[in-house]
Amino acid sequence: MEAHISQEQADEYAIGALEPELERIVALHLADCTACRDIVHDSERLALSFSLSVPRRKPPRSLRARVFQSAGIARPSPWRRAWGYSRAAAGLAAVVVAIAAFTGMVSVRSQIDHLREDNRDLQGQVSRALSQEVEIAALTRRLSEAERSAFELDQATSDDRDLLVALLAPTTVVAEVVSVDEKSTSIGRLVWDEDQKRVWFVAASLQQRPAGETYQIWVSTGGRYVSLGTFNSDSQGFARYGARLPQGLKTYESALVTIERYGGAPERSGPSVFVSDLSRFRR
Amino acid sequence: MAAVVIRDPLAFAAIYDRYVALVYSASLRVLADVHEAEDVTQDVFVRLWRRPETFIAERGRFLSWLMSVARNRSVDELRSRGRRHRREALNGDTSDDDPATLVPADTDDPVLAAQLHEAQKLVRAALVGLPADQRRALELAYFGGFTQQEISAALHEPLGTVKTRIRLGMQKLRRALENRV
Ligand SMILES: [Zn+2]
Repeated sequence: MEAHISQEQADEYAIGALEPELERIVALHLADCTACRDIVHDSERLALSFSLSVPRRKPPRSLRARVFQSAGIARPSPWRRAWGYSRAAAGLAAVVVAIAAFTGMVSVRSQIDHLREDNRDLQGQVSRALSQEVEIAALTRRLSEAERSAFELDQATSDDRDLLVALLAPTTVVAEVVSVDEKSTSIGRLVWDEDQKRVWFVAASLQQRPAGETYQIWVSTGGRYVSLGTFNSDSQGFARYGARLPQGLKTYESALVTIERYGGAPERSGPSVFVSDLSRFRR
Repeated sequence: MAAVVIRDPLAFAAIYDRYVALVYSASLRVLADVHEAEDVTQDVFVRLWRRPETFIAERGRFLSWLMSVARNRSVDELRSRGRRHRREALNGDTSDDDPATLVPADTDDPVLAAQLHEAQKLVRAALVGLPADQRRALELAYFGGFTQQEISAALHEPLGTVKTRIRLGMQKLRRALENRV
């Protein structure tokens, strides 16, 4: 398709009214065109109205077991009890996702603020449900290590929640971080929360550094690299690192993840693993 | 854009419990068959678990993504049944508002329940506010899996008329929902 997609076509596509050939052409175009994708996403949000308007019916209880069995999900044995009382906390994650779903249709700002105000109360819930294994945004596995101390678990879930909230805040920017090695399957995202002056780096399939080595994350500003700190991925290749945005920095050109000696380097010196162009996010 | 991936059984369970009724209900609306709706619902969630990378939910897109998967899977199923059965959709009741069939609000998650309820009220009002022929064209496409040409043929209306109804209907819906922000 040479031309971009019109609003009308986007609407027709979203409700499935296009003839199959045209639908295929539109789908192909969307794969390459962010601008049109935005238009179609808006139409899809509108089309969601139809699904939401349907009278809600509950599926039979047996379906749940069927789905879990078919997905090959077994109950994690050390945490059997968690299935009972982690629901409040599990619900929290789902709430956050659900709130996100209505962005653009209903203002999300107040809910986000509300969540933040409720911080203390949520913290209590999280403490009571220590074993909750709620992880969205690739925040997985870490909590299932039974030997983790209560404090660490608490901290991890609270960080995850902050990250989830940040992910959904309208002022937050999420940048794709590209692996330097083209053959690498690692994926990374930088999440900038201007409101809270925080930044997160989340990565999956990132090889764990051996003893003596660490990942270090940098942002470049005015041609100078400023360290945001060091981290390592876990044995599953998952990494989530949060830091405060350095004070006084107004512009960022790029972000970089390098491999450095354990403890971190004062100046960037090791090989780069990830890079991200941040110039678009200048404020 | 945030890649949101579910790889944790508890997170998956939470997502399932929250959204299964939405997925199932929409699928049932398309297929009008409880067993087929169950199959499609199972398929949607198993896919979500097995292939989390397909769940690239940009901010604010999870629900519209999930429901478009559910809708498309249901329509595929409907189409595989053949045209004869789809004619039923033409005569189908499009305004099933019997409150007795509504699922009561989830008590353990009042915030979400209230939001979904609020959203449902909002979109219903917006849909009811559409002229009947516009709403019908939209519903035939979305729930019936009819393309514009098929709607045109089924209703014996010119294609241009059908396209206009869809265009005006979506415009009106957009305005109705935007005004609520
Ligand atoms: Zn385009």
